[in-house]
Amino acid sequence: MKTIGSRILAVIIGGLFIYAGGLKALDPARFATDIFHYRLLPWSVSALVALYLPWLEMIAGVALMTRRASLGALGILSALMLVFVFATLSAKFRGIDIACGCFGSLDKSTDLGPILLRDAAILAGLGWLFRVQRIQ
Amino acid sequence: MRRLIRQALVLLLIAVLPAIGAGFFHPKRPSWTSDEVQLATAQEWGDKVLWIDARSALEYDTQHIPGALHLSEEAWDDGLGPVLDQWEPGKIVVVYCSTLSCETSHEVAKRLREEVQLKEVWVLQGGWEVWRRAHP
Repeated sequence: MKTIGSRILAVIIGGLFIYAGGLKALDPARFATDIFHYRLLPWSVSALVALYLPWLEMIAGVALMTRRASLGALGILSALMLVFVFATLSAKFRGIDIACGCFGSLDKSTDLGPILLRDAAILAGLGWLFRVQRIQ
Repeated sequence: MRRLIRQALVLLLIAVLPAIGAGFFHPKRPSWTSDEVQLATAQEWGDKVLWIDARSALEYDTQHIPGALHLSEEAWDDGLGPVLDQWEPGKIVVVYCSTLSCETSHEVAKRLREEVQLKEVWVLQGGWEVWRRAHP
């Protein structure tokens, strides 16, 4: 039962990252602007991250779904989520009112609560999958 | 732990390949220099600046940067004539929209560069919100 549950969860979370990465990969110029607006990175680095990150999300998502290198995928996706949470909180604490950019142009929300709630749920799911992997 | 790191490194490396491809061939790849300018810099340019308001006509009519012309994607044909009348060699075009998150200023700036072939076109970082804060 735990295995079926974890398989479904891996497909959902993997699919979510494939979807999010795909949306961002469609328009890296816009994603670079979104990253730049967090004021954590200079433009050139934002541009590089905008080209690389969507593909990393998608590849890690596929790895998680297909159970190929899923432990590495879990590590990468968890690290990404922590970075996203840090960036979101840091922007809010500095008074920067920006859209999250997590789902490319579809993501216009600037409301911190739902974004953090969503991130916490994904992190909890990833934590659960880590636990199941360790038991196996 | 070793397995996690090894798998993560493989995934990190795999993602480099499509990212390089996107950097060279993606039609919406980011440029290596930002098109955004800070308010202080734009103000240093003084009279050389031709301000373009890319917000809605209603917002423009309510209040706008002194001397700014209205040019939005919706009213492109109506707005472009006055902009070209005002533009002269040496003028620096600075486009703004409502906030840091809005995208219309980037779209208008892009069209001015690509369709009208204007060279010096910038986007005001933070848009109208930053101007209003600096000029209460």
